[in-house]
Amino acid sequence: MRAPRRRGRVGQERTNWTTLVILLLCALTVLLPLYVTVSMSLKSTSQAVDGNAFSLPAPIDFSGFAQAWELTNFPVAFMISLFITAGTVVGTVFLGALASYAIVRNWDRRLFRWSFFYLLTALFLPFPVVALPQIQLTGLVGLANPVGVIILKIMFELSFSILLFTAFLRSIPLELEESARIDGATTWQTFRRLIFPLLAPMSATVAIFAFLASWNDFMMPSLIIADSAQQTLPVVQSIFQTQFSNNYNVSFASYLMAMAPAIIVYLFTQRWVMEGVTQGAVKG
Amino acid sequence: MPRTATTRPASARGRAPLAAAAAVATALAFAGCGSAGGGTADITFHMSKPEAIPYFRALVDDFNAAQDDVRVTLDTASNLSAGFLRGNPPDVGLLNYNYEMARFMERGALSDLSDMPEADRIRPEVQELVDQYATYPGRTSVLPYSVAAASVIYNVEIFEENGIEVPTTWDELIAVCDELETAGVTPIYSTFKDPWTLGQGLFDYAVGGSVDVPGFLEEMEEIGTEVGPDSAVSFQKDILEPSEQMRQLAEYSNDDAASRGYGDGNVAFANGEGAMYMQGPWALGEIAKTNPELELATFPLPSSDDPDDLKVRVNLDLALWIPEASTEKEAARQFVTYLMQQDVMDEYNAEFLGFGTTTDAAPVTDERIVPMQEYYDAGAFYQGLSRSIPLTIPIDNYIQTMATGGDIPATLATIDADWARLALRG
Repeated sequence: MRAPRRRGRVGQERTNWTTLVILLLCALTVLLPLYVTVSMSLKSTSQAVDGNAFSLPAPIDFSGFAQAWELTNFPVAFMISLFITAGTVVGTVFLGALASYAIVRNWDRRLFRWSFFYLLTALFLPFPVVALPQIQLTGLVGLANPVGVIILKIMFELSFSILLFTAFLRSIPLELEESARIDGATTWQTFRRLIFPLLAPMSATVAIFAFLASWNDFMMPSLIIADSAQQTLPVVQSIFQTQFSNNYNVSFASYLMAMAPAIIVYLFTQRWVMEGVTQGAVKG
Repeated sequence: MPRTATTRPASARGRAPLAAAAAVATALAFAGCGSAGGGTADITFHMSKPEAIPYFRALVDDFNAAQDDVRVTLDTASNLSAGFLRGNPPDVGLLNYNYEMARFMERGALSDLSDMPEADRIRPEVQELVDQYATYPGRTSVLPYSVAAASVIYNVEIFEENGIEVPTTWDELIAVCDELETAGVTPIYSTFKDPWTLGQGLFDYAVGGSVDVPGFLEEMEEIGTEVGPDSAVSFQKDILEPSEQMRQLAEYSNDDAASRGYGDGNVAFANGEGAMYMQGPWALGEIAKTNPELELATFPLPSSDDPDDLKVRVNLDLALWIPEASTEKEAARQFVTYLMQQDVMDEYNAEFLGFGTTTDAAPVTDERIVPMQEYYDAGAFYQGLSRSIPLTIPIDNYIQTMATGGDIPATLATIDADWARLALRG
């Protein structure tokens, strides 16, 4: 009597093979390049150029890491990348949340409504379009350095972040805020103690987007930062790519070192990324 | 753009002495009666040839250690266009000289170096290579530092095994190809997938062997918008024969040439999969990565029936310049003088397979490129046509079309039409 029932229950949980195969294929598109990156970085120079990307490194050779470390002056470039990224993430989350709060709670006023649209327009403004004037401007005001990149990056990140924050803020019931007001909270206290903590999942999403955008960015730091000693990782890594020579082992070792923080950050925050994406989607 | 590049710095420069003065004042205040350090000039030196970075890093360290007047910082990553636009370009540049760089010179962004004694040591034929791109009236803005000479690279062992002599006429070359083919060897290893390899290789060699490239370009420049089927010079008239020669040679390539890129080519050639390879010295280092023992040599591609009419293709691998916007021109010149010392230049060229640009340069010693020395010394060289026309015209892709079976006269007519349209726009 029991056996068939159990089989029935198992049957209900039967594996969905179609989905499984599709998901496995999707996983491959991530895992294969990752495998090539890791194995390439461990190959010797002659093995790296032999045209077999998928072969296992034999012998395992760590000299690529040493060369990449030295050629890019890795610790300095890494710290600068980290500084720019941290500045951008903190700035974007803080300014984005403040601006969105102000906009959502004053939606009935024209000034706020229009400033929302104004901030959104930056979504349609790619950096290359305004690159030339920005280079001159940052040069004139002494911001041709990582700080200038942070300011510009926050500006460009702000529009998308505000879009996410405002959608999320609209789902927070006004009654919550009213109760805080009745307890005597000022606007700042309401924001600091109530709204900002409630925004946490969305802040995580915004932070991750800002992190990826600034960590991986090549063009803006390359054009804005004048002193090559203050360049970010992606820019100093560009020396590995030329028309005439291939140093796959050195470049992949370098890419791997640069990728590590992004992967680590994602591992720890992926839960919030998914939550954040779905939470803003449906208005409460 | 040129005006902004030269006037903007004035305002930026205006503040620099102030800042410097403030810095010096602070330094003095803290250092008290310390050693005299106020006279040090800081300059940046832009050099971005990746394989040469360690070499120049050591050179810069030596220079900084040897004297106290000038402190050089090696810059390998900053963006040149942004630097010029911002008004703080590097004080000394040592770069590949090409069409892109020539645009800065043409607009007067590079300072005159003709009064430096170093300028007189440059071979006139080599200095002329700079002028073939663009000139700025009354200035010698760019000093050639190293020349890369390119011709047909061949596998010595394969040639010897088949009893083949280096061909000196077009007919001999075709005979060699036929012979190799009969022997079951791929005569030419080609990599059509990367169009530039065709442009700087087969096409430039075929054109350079029979056409006076600078003369052709000068006339094309003059005719400008009128270039077409009836003009005095045109691609469809003057380049037709070399293009057909290129096609004829391309047919001796490996069967899978269309799907092979530069990297594949280096590996395959290193493994003896072809007898000849149309690449410059930059490929030699890449081939050596796979097979350092391989014996290689070079010969200029013969494109006529006159064995004395042979030339090699050259390009300015590195050239020195000092921008107008530099605030430390004197210090920059001091460093240029250091770089231009004959033994420093010779050492660079020996290590990176370059040819010297000065009258007293040492000859090359690397077996693989020695055969080109006599042509280089005799001035029998040309800059590749495919690298001498504006980047707006996708010449490499047109060449790829012709090499892989496209209609040659029609494609050349398209290039002429592009040229005329570009001249009209300019």
